[in-house]
Amino acid sequence: MNEARVVLALGRRALSVQFRRAQLLMPTFVLPLMLLAVIASGTSAAQDLRGFPDVASYLGFIVPGTIIQGALLAGLTSGTALAGDIEFGFFDRLLAAPVHRTSLVIGRQAGTLGLSVLQTTFFLCVGLAFGAHYPGGFGAALAAIVLAAITAVGIGGIAAALALRTGSLSLLQSIFPFVFVLLFTAPAFFPRELLTPVLRDVAAYNPLTYVVEAVRGLLTGEHGLGDPWLGLAAAVGLALATTMLATLALAQRLRAT
Amino acid sequence: MSTPAATSVLPVALALWRRSLNEVLRVRGALLPATIAPVVFLLGMTGQFGRLTGLEGFPTDSYLSWIVPLSCLQGAGFAGAATGSNLARDIEQGWFDRLLVAPVPRPLLLAGPILGGVTRSLVPATAVLVVGLALGAELSGGLPGLLALYVACAGFCTVAGLWGVFMALTFRTQQAGPLMQQGVFLAVFLSTAYTPEVLLRGWLADVAHLNPVTQVLELARQATVSGLEPSLAHTLPGLLALAGMFAVLGGVALLGLRRLGR
Repeated sequence: MNEARVVLALGRRALSVQFRRAQLLMPTFVLPLMLLAVIASGTSAAQDLRGFPDVASYLGFIVPGTIIQGALLAGLTSGTALAGDIEFGFFDRLLAAPVHRTSLVIGRQAGTLGLSVLQTTFFLCVGLAFGAHYPGGFGAALAAIVLAAITAVGIGGIAAALALRTGSLSLLQSIFPFVFVLLFTAPAFFPRELLTPVLRDVAAYNPLTYVVEAVRGLLTGEHGLGDPWLGLAAAVGLALATTMLATLALAQRLRAT
Repeated sequence: MSTPAATSVLPVALALWRRSLNEVLRVRGALLPATIAPVVFLLGMTGQFGRLTGLEGFPTDSYLSWIVPLSCLQGAGFAGAATGSNLARDIEQGWFDRLLVAPVPRPLLLAGPILGGVTRSLVPATAVLVVGLALGAELSGGLPGLLALYVACAGFCTVAGLWGVFMALTFRTQQAGPLMQQGVFLAVFLSTAYTPEVLLRGWLADVAHLNPVTQVLELARQATVSGLEPSLAHTLPGLLALAGMFAVLGGVALLGLRRLGR
């Protein structure tokens, strides 16, 4: 019970820090929407390509890419904030508190989860306002929010592990471009069948492929575009593995200090 | 015979230019993010949208050739915007205040760092070009096309640098860094970034038509897009667009500089 309160308090703190520092929110909330707007208008002619799925709205087709991009950035931002806490000494004070050390990692992950829920809801609403259709309905949108949140926790785990291993804020800030490697090696904005052959092969090994396709399948109501259960398995697997990685990194940090 | 002011101008600009380059030598990996980001975009966008060349009206059948100049400009633009971040840091740490009391014309304090940005921008632009050519992009424009590409990159880096400087002088904090980068990001992508103008639909078609970066991209694309042969018709609009952006952003940057310290 006490640990649950610690996790909740740390999660709330992680969220409030994000909202107090608007410059942290710019990349997570604004950048994915900018990319969505540009891609939606810049590549909508792609619907004329042979093999492109017959979907009700092109915007609705690419919104899942934006949602996953948001999840990636939410996770990275959370790791960056953790690195800041380490560099400025706040994390050392937390370590002196009489709580289970794993709660410190899970608390941070709870903040990432909350941020991702807010973010995905925001993206879905903005998409809707600009003409995206979600034939999958309200339940599908909720499921998409859950999938994105679990994915954000997965990415947050990698970022937290890096932050705990290095304690370097500048390193975390400089891995920003690598987030896009994960995004672009998944069929984020184009169907997998229409990716270039090399990328199609690489995409099969990227867990985000299954998550983005699952979100697409859910929102469009076309389960042929993505299997929600496969997406859930990929997201949960990623979240478990990376949270474990972050916990190990914390243990290693404690041993070293 | 040169005046005393004229003789002091060049050494000051050179010293500030050298100082801004020192950053690259002293900070390990300082250029990595600005170099890796456009390479990642180059590879990612080619992989995602490569099939768009199958659409009627696309001037080349190699999407990589279409995207390489865009990524070069993006890299140069990010290097330029970093000039603003560095200036914001100098303002925050008080170093720029010391420069302001130096007996030199104030615009000179900006010329050195911007020249440094242009020099730094050669690294990401060249890295993107080399990666692109290695992966199969065509250098269809030959030497004149290559020259046009580098002129476009240097010009766009200067313009992005002035934008960064204006932001730094306005907000006077490094926290404005994302605004500088995202300004460049927006300017590049609200153009014919992914597809030619004939294939753009909706609001982006209108915005791209008005966005001067579209003309700069056309200037740069003479290097690798076989449908855009090097010619004055493809060159002049780009040069005029760069001159226009330079005049506007240079003007507001100088106004910001004049307000500083008042």
